[in-house]
Amino acid sequence: MSLPVYVTAATVLCAGADSWRGLAARIAAGAVLSPSTQLQASHGLVWAAEIKDIPAKWDVEPRMRKWMSYPARLAAMVLNQLCHESNWSSEQRAAAALFLGVGASGCPISELTQMLKASIQQQQFELTRFGGAGLAACSPLLAFQLMNNFSLCHGAILTGLAGPNSAFFSRGTGTVAALAEAYWLVASGQSELAIAGGADSALHPVTWSQLVRDSWVACGLVPGEGAAVLALSPERQRALARLERVQFASALAIQSGLTEFLAAFGPVDPQRDWLVLAPWGPPARQLLASFSHTFAAERQVDISAALAETLAAAPALAVAVALDLLASRAQRVWVASAGIDGGVGLVLLSAG
Amino acid sequence: MSVKPVFIRGVGAMTPLGATWASSFAALAAGRSAIAPIRAFDASQFPCQVAAEIAGFSNTVDRRLLFTRAAAQEAWAQTGVELESLKPQRLGVFIGAESGRAPFAILQALTRAAGGTAQFDHLQFGQQARQFAAQLDATLMSPAAVTSALAGDYAAQGPAVTLSLACASGASAIAEAARAIRLGQCDWALCGGVGADVDPLMLAGFGRLAALSAQGVSCPFDRQRDGFVVGEGAAILVLAREAGNAKVELIGDGRSLDAYQLTAPDPAGAGAERALVAALRMAGVTAVDYIQAHGTSTLLNDAVEALMLQRVFGRKLDRAHLSSIKGALGHAIAGAGALGCLAAYSAIAQGQILATANLKDPDPRCQLPHVMGAAITQPVTLALVNAFAFGGANCCLILRAC
Repeated sequence: MSLPVYVTAATVLCAGADSWRGLAARIAAGAVLSPSTQLQASHGLVWAAEIKDIPAKWDVEPRMRKWMSYPARLAAMVLNQLCHESNWSSEQRAAAALFLGVGASGCPISELTQMLKASIQQQQFELTRFGGAGLAACSPLLAFQLMNNFSLCHGAILTGLAGPNSAFFSRGTGTVAALAEAYWLVASGQSELAIAGGADSALHPVTWSQLVRDSWVACGLVPGEGAAVLALSPERQRALARLERVQFASALAIQSGLTEFLAAFGPVDPQRDWLVLAPWGPPARQLLASFSHTFAAERQVDISAALAETLAAAPALAVAVALDLLASRAQRVWVASAGIDGGVGLVLLSAG
Repeated sequence: MSVKPVFIRGVGAMTPLGATWASSFAALAAGRSAIAPIRAFDASQFPCQVAAEIAGFSNTVDRRLLFTRAAAQEAWAQTGVELESLKPQRLGVFIGAESGRAPFAILQALTRAAGGTAQFDHLQFGQQARQFAAQLDATLMSPAAVTSALAGDYAAQGPAVTLSLACASGASAIAEAARAIRLGQCDWALCGGVGADVDPLMLAGFGRLAALSAQGVSCPFDRQRDGFVVGEGAAILVLAREAGNAKVELIGDGRSLDAYQLTAPDPAGAGAERALVAALRMAGVTAVDYIQAHGTSTLLNDAVEALMLQRVFGRKLDRAHLSSIKGALGHAIAGAGALGCLAAYSAIAQGQILATANLKDPDPRCQLPHVMGAAITQPVTLALVNAFAFGGANCCLILRAC
């Protein structure tokens, strides 16, 4: 069995945007960078595509916020908003599948500071003190801030989404894997509603330090953050777009033939088709160049040009841009993403 | 409804009781326990001073990768299949893993930097934090690092996926691999999970949750249980579309979310029940002979799991046997579900059911067909594996004798 799969709802939060509608125009307007507040203490002045204005009605309660890593908070907000806008019943939510691409979770640096401060005696770090006083100084839910699955679980708790699920970690294709999982669940008839997306931030001091250390900044990578989730269903009447195909491949697989992987999707119509790119930095953009050259230059959108590097959120944000293009001017949109580890994802959408 | 089975062609593990699954299972069947005072660091002031550690590996390397490679080697050797005979595009890798941990040396260097004056210097700490973070190799800490490395080792060009679902990671990775084979996305899969969380930061985190045993005993379902003991290890299965010499097949899986509370499972076990019912429905069965329980030795999880199993199986539970290897191996977090799957596999393949270590006085709220004391010899045709995670992700697997 292979049912048609439609995108019936989407929610987005990124620098300068809280809706998928108009997202293409937002990107075309160029990057709106500002000095990052999250990186100021550790790195000084870093220009970033940072979310400055979280809609008040979206944000989670302060009490819950302190238990969440920042990516988990982003995921929870977009999931909550998606459920709110879609008006699903509690039964629908309980049965809905949920698949997210997640990045590295992490506690706030202030949390680590508190622990370490309490662990120091006579100017020396003592592990024994760490296990006692250091532990007592940190959040009771530190473990949940460190574990990557909570980017999925916080949102589930908030919204009542309780069906089949996975949190896919990847430095490249995890979010596309999430989308693929949701696609197959709906296409096979096993689920009437599957939600997929990604949430991440490059603005955690540890994450950014690693990106700096690995020379990504020297390559021109700019930190960003965001989250996007999509609802997939076999119901056409609420369709924003049809999800034709989703596929991803590891770096190892691509080494033997990117062209072969891309060709499996069928020919591109350069007169009609659009391309949305979500490359993790210049090397990934280079990797996708052979594909992007197939498209007319005026029919291409590179989300990193305006949204900067949004890590695990990137492929989902790119699909949201595709929705906007399909709503306004496109008939068919390809979404190509490539990650730090060299994996490649490809999604094909058409007008619903 | 039943779906096409997926065949288990090889299994492998590295645990604190053995460098292979064969030796680990033998040790478990002989009643040995891996839980002992923590050797890796001074845990004297931690809420729990014991763990199930794998000896002989430094903490400055990625232990997850070492464990997983060893497990994969054993599993693949069992298949008797030459890797070169496979099309690389038809071999996938599906691993459940969490992030690697910062080596102790870096953690201590950071705090030395922060503690350079009589007072904790926030500014200095903030400045040094950058250096500290830059010493962390993201490629090694990333959960995806294990998957990538294994894919490279086996030249696997099929789907390569990493799942981070805490205690349900390994079992979910196995379910994911089976799904991929059924969908025709690959013909073979290396899948499983790995945990290496005997680490000060994670022990602090779990300890702060009051989830660890203050008594230092892992005794699932026992009246005296007071928390879990952290363990480490890796378990890998080789799944295939074709039966070959397989003795056991995977015939069902179910996944769900509690969507209940952050710090506790749904007391009614509704989420776990949904996962189990889905797995049973997929498998086309209503009862099993053996249950490898999640059984963590925590007050809440064990009671909820027991309640849920009683509700789903009813009188059919009387014909089954149940145990949890966490009594002897501790809780390997992302590796736990996969290790549990191997215990279920061996119950079927060898007709030997492990006992739950340290279970002497079952909690009346956990009335289940426990195997206590010593392993028993009993034919097993159908087995269930439960994996219920912090945060509420649930995964159940059903295995059957071929």
